[in-house]
Amino acid sequence: MGNANTATVSASNQVKKNSQFKAIVKRYVKNKLAVFGLFLFIVLVVLALGAELFVDYDADAITQNMQIRLTPPNSEHIFGTDHYGRDVFARVLFGGRISLLVGTVTILASLTCGSIIGATAGYYGGKVDNILMRIMDVFLAIPSILLAISIVAALGNGMINLMIALSVSATPRFARIVRSSILTVKGQEFIEAAKAYGCHNVKIISYHILPNSIGPIIVQATLSMASTILMISSLSFVGLGLPSSIPEWGSMLSEAKEFMRYDPYLIVFPGIAIVLAVMAFNLIGDGLRDALDPKLRN
Amino acid sequence: MEMPILETKGLKKYFKTPRGNLHAVDDINISIPKGHTLGVVGESGCGKSTLGRVILRLIEATDGEVLFEGDNILKYNIQQMDAMRRKLQIIFQDPFASLNPRLSVSEIIADPIRTNKLLKNRKEIEERVVELMQTVGLSERFINAYPHELDGGRRQRIGVARALALDPKFIVCDEPVSALDVSIQAQILNLMMDLQEERDLTYLFITHDMSVVKHISSQVMVMYMGQCVEIAPTDELFEQPMHPYSQALLSAIPVPQLRHDRKKRQLIRGEITSPINPKPGCRFAPRCPYASEKCTGESIPLTERSTGHFVSCVL
Repeated sequence: MGNANTATVSASNQVKKNSQFKAIVKRYVKNKLAVFGLFLFIVLVVLALGAELFVDYDADAITQNMQIRLTPPNSEHIFGTDHYGRDVFARVLFGGRISLLVGTVTILASLTCGSIIGATAGYYGGKVDNILMRIMDVFLAIPSILLAISIVAALGNGMINLMIALSVSATPRFARIVRSSILTVKGQEFIEAAKAYGCHNVKIISYHILPNSIGPIIVQATLSMASTILMISSLSFVGLGLPSSIPEWGSMLSEAKEFMRYDPYLIVFPGIAIVLAVMAFNLIGDGLRDALDPKLRN
Repeated sequence: MEMPILETKGLKKYFKTPRGNLHAVDDINISIPKGHTLGVVGESGCGKSTLGRVILRLIEATDGEVLFEGDNILKYNIQQMDAMRRKLQIIFQDPFASLNPRLSVSEIIADPIRTNKLLKNRKEIEERVVELMQTVGLSERFINAYPHELDGGRRQRIGVARALALDPKFIVCDEPVSALDVSIQAQILNLMMDLQEERDLTYLFITHDMSVVKHISSQVMVMYMGQCVEIAPTDELFEQPMHPYSQALLSAIPVPQLRHDRKKRQLIRGEITSPINPKPGCRFAPRCPYASEKCTGESIPLTERSTGHFVSCVL
């Protein structure tokens, strides 16, 4: 009797419904490169957040010390010092906070806005599509750096305004990509089936259409990461981003340009930091795209 | 005859095109009694699928009425329509495009239940999904499978299960077997007929395959360029087609016998004329071997030749 019971229990367990989330995690973990990307990202974040454990913000990253300016890497300053005698290692660590935060927030914000605008335009079509996409075209027609400059100029300096400016200038690209991938999905019969059983538009877009167009969106998001980090520095360069004393990878790069010839280490270390961050994002993005697609199960 | 569960009255759907109105569905009057099947046949582009979608309000009609159990559902507001959608379902032709590739079998079948909040409890939904899968003859082991892992027949079974999830009374079957192998076609057709018997379902069965129509329908409507040219009980239509177009369609069915003294095949010549702003009169006239002056000029009404057999032809 007891045996019979356990048998039925195990039989019903066998066909138990897997949760989608678990399946995605499982597929992601199988992808070695994607796991490496995630690991890299976590290391960068931990280093940036835990910077105080290694160096002191005011003493190492901000205070100028002209006596030791442009010292090549040595045991005391492992990444050397810059033209104001500030420790490059400290500046790279603290700079990660701003670059990663602004980059991530900008990508997420422009991804969200772009998806909403693009999805609305693509799904409803007609006049809505025309109006929204023409507005996006206007934004696209202005070089994104100019657009960001004018927004910061209008709103004033500061990190929040910087993020707003960068997000606004990145949004049109997302809107375009989301719209086009929605157009390819929306004519399919499963959308009609969903309408036939009473699905409303918002659910159709979010549950049935967007997951099917996630691939190109993720690729665009990971590609934007690098350009966003560099754009922060461009804005700082024209004095509309953050004050140049505040460490940040992009502005470190642009300041180091002058000394590149004799002190290349100044450009190497922030450069490597940017490369690692961008690579982490790309690997995570690729991994996510594959993990979210049930067709690439194995 | 019993009270019809679904009726259309003067149902019209015109699509606006730059060159004028495209008459996709033009003045269709049908009435299907509960538990019966109306087969709709006609060549591609004659408006069969549009008719099915207009009845379900997936496409809004231009004019006319769709009466479900006597009520005009075209006048319903969104809330009323949401409630009505549970009773009206659709099965699609392409078993590849009609299932969301990102969802597993259980998610696909459960979505109508969740959307309509028929069951809240997760376990109940899961049990219901398993029950539906059994009903349509899908093994439980496919519950976590994704559509791309299954063959056409199994996918079509998922489509049937999804349509049944809400316990509908009326199902539009839009060429549900056209994309399948012949052996699988028979399985799916038999499944649908069994379900009809068990659940007293009513079908509007759209197809271009005359043998399928003969197998499943109790009544057949022949459509040509958005109009009904002939409607009759199935046996009657197959024995005595009256409209030249129906005759040509029937003579196109291949006969699976070697030494069959074959009646001369009636071929339809010419191309289908443009459905944009069609001229009054019989739309088949330009291709009809018997066409005469009587056929053009004014529209030809459906006339009853014998009980339940209506034909729109001057002959």
